[in-house]
Amino acid sequence: MIRKGTFMLVAACLAAALAACGGGGGGEGGEDASAAEAKNAGGAGTGSGRGDKIVIRYWYAFGGKIEEAKRELVRRFNESQDRIEVIAEHQGNYEDLHAKVQAAFAAGNAPAVTDLEIASTGLFARSGMLTELTPYADRDAEELKLEDFHPGLMGNAYVDGKLYGLPFMRSTPILYKNVTMLKEAGLDPEGPRTWQELEQYARALKERGKYAMTLPIDIWFYEALVFQSGGRILSEDGRKALFNSPEGVEPVAFWKRLAEEGLIKIPIGDEAGAAADKDWANQISALRFASTANVSAAIEIAEGNGFELATSFMPANRQYGVPTGGCQLVITSKLSDEEKEAAWEFLKFMTTTESTIFQHRHVGYLPTRLSALETDELQAHFERYPQYKVAFEQLAYAQPRPMENAYPEITMLIRNAIEKAILDPDVTPQEAMDEAAAKADKLLAK
Amino acid sequence: MPMVPKRLKPYAMIAPALAVFSLFYLYPIGYMIHLSFHEWNFISPEKTYVGLGNYREMLTDDVFLQVLRNSALYTVMTVLLATGTALPLALWLNRKSGFHAFVQGAIFSPHIISLVSVSLLWSWLMDPEYGLLNGLLHWFGIGPLKWLNDPGTALLSLVIVAVWKNLGYNTIVFIAGLQSIPPELLEAAALDRSKPWTTFRRIILPMLSPTLFFLVIINLIGSFQVFETIAIMTQGGPVHSTNTLVYYIYEYGFRYFKIGHASAAGVILLVIVGTLTLGYFRLLSRRVHYYG
Repeated sequence: MIRKGTFMLVAACLAAALAACGGGGGGEGGEDASAAEAKNAGGAGTGSGRGDKIVIRYWYAFGGKIEEAKRELVRRFNESQDRIEVIAEHQGNYEDLHAKVQAAFAAGNAPAVTDLEIASTGLFARSGMLTELTPYADRDAEELKLEDFHPGLMGNAYVDGKLYGLPFMRSTPILYKNVTMLKEAGLDPEGPRTWQELEQYARALKERGKYAMTLPIDIWFYEALVFQSGGRILSEDGRKALFNSPEGVEPVAFWKRLAEEGLIKIPIGDEAGAAADKDWANQISALRFASTANVSAAIEIAEGNGFELATSFMPANRQYGVPTGGCQLVITSKLSDEEKEAAWEFLKFMTTTESTIFQHRHVGYLPTRLSALETDELQAHFERYPQYKVAFEQLAYAQPRPMENAYPEITMLIRNAIEKAILDPDVTPQEAMDEAAAKADKLLAK
Repeated sequence: MPMVPKRLKPYAMIAPALAVFSLFYLYPIGYMIHLSFHEWNFISPEKTYVGLGNYREMLTDDVFLQVLRNSALYTVMTVLLATGTALPLALWLNRKSGFHAFVQGAIFSPHIISLVSVSLLWSWLMDPEYGLLNGLLHWFGIGPLKWLNDPGTALLSLVIVAVWKNLGYNTIVFIAGLQSIPPELLEAAALDRSKPWTTFRRIILPMLSPTLFFLVIINLIGSFQVFETIAIMTQGGPVHSTNTLVYYIYEYGFRYFKIGHASAAGVILLVIVGTLTLGYFRLLSRRVHYYG
């Protein structure tokens, strides 16, 4: 009798569960099916969605706060109108994203819109993967207001005089300072403004058993120091390596000297960036170079670990200087005219003043438009968190990154040369950079 | 199948397998060889024919020569250590007790963990500042070692990870090999009062040689194709000290978008692995003893 009761109970539960399932299916099935259909349509690359709605895919990089901001903007776009539906898909970091876009393009399956790290714009544009945006920008000049974008961010948007991308989540490296540690060492928390001051600060911090900085060998920081010395990475026409000039060697010699004296710590390898972040968060190092995209996260760390945080320009050598970074939005080329129009609508929406204010406040990337700066919203925000403002002011000293097709390979040559110069006491910075420059010249000559 | 003449029947039978094999192995290999004579970035419509240019460029590049050296060194060290330590372990573990079964399970467990997790785990263990390994070594007054951060020790650190990962599998296969040795052979040896070393040398090792042969081949090919640990733990650095063939191919193919160069390196990998496999089969097949 008991067993029969148990059986009945189980049967009843099962029936209830099934009914719930069926009910749910009835309620949401319609939506699920249409979402799947939309996905299929997008997946084929020819987004002729259901009804008269155009479905296009957008691929983006990175997770965390960056992903949150990107997905939120896509959601807002989809709700703002009913002609176009954008499906956003996460694809890892910039390198993963680029490799996937390229493979998908070769397979005739590329997304309509993708993030593109700025230094790769040249390679992608010259390979014919991107739709030129100049005609669209000319047509919609009134609405787009191209001149409203900060001029310092447009250098990487043009390839050979043609517009290929709109600035989206753009950054510069800035100096993050642990003000509490600097004050304890009797140092002026407004500095260091120059390389010399940086060295003085480092000596004072070393006496207290701390490092001035844990510095990963990052091509982006190296570019910054070369610009600060008044040099260039490659010649204007992109045919010759200039990083073995005195201005290119000086940063390496500076780092090597500081590292040998134990004033800064240089971690090596894939985890170097993470190691630098950890040292800074744990107050082993007082200073840190990092992208402005880290401002929101850094404020949280400083609050959590109980120290005061300030940000400032990267110290100057002969002048201030930084490369810009981050990504722009581009449209791929194998699309119907209808899809291109849809993608263009999406690009315009993602880069409006309102959108850029949102992503700036959520993540810390630069506000890309001058008009954004004039809004009360951002003025009030800067008032409260001055750390956000520095990167924008530093843009006055920003330079575009090299965009030659061979540049990804050349960055590898440079990074290895710097590592060699710093790790091997028998190799001088000049020798290491000369060797890399000779190889780079061969690549650039092609 | 009455319609098919008897002579053609076997071919008809293997046709489906052959079709799949051709489509997914022979065609890509042929295409890779074709690409290795061209310059191409994956997307532009035309491929430029450069003859042996990619090969010439590669073989005169000191980085590629270092990559070949790294691959060879990594493979030799991994195979020697992973099979060399597995054999004594297997001899010790080849008995029935709860304890031995537990140890068997414990050393086998790395084999079932994803290589990505393994890489992250070991990056953390080998961290020069906060890592557990340096913490332990500090107790014995050694270190701190820089592990993956020093060009001198980085490759060896990766070998340690590979050996840790493969040891369990190798040991289990050796134990299976040991258990398939007919007990009457060992009994006869015991009756003849053969010394343990002689028994090992004259009976166990020859009887185990197919297993040993199998493991060496598997480990050799696997080591030459190492990728995940390098991609996650070192990205070929510092200063190319851990850059190996497959990672090099990936770098050129998907980071610098030079498919021709990457394909040429792929052809060289194919030739090396192919020669090794063939060579080992021919050389060892004469010395491998099969029972029965």
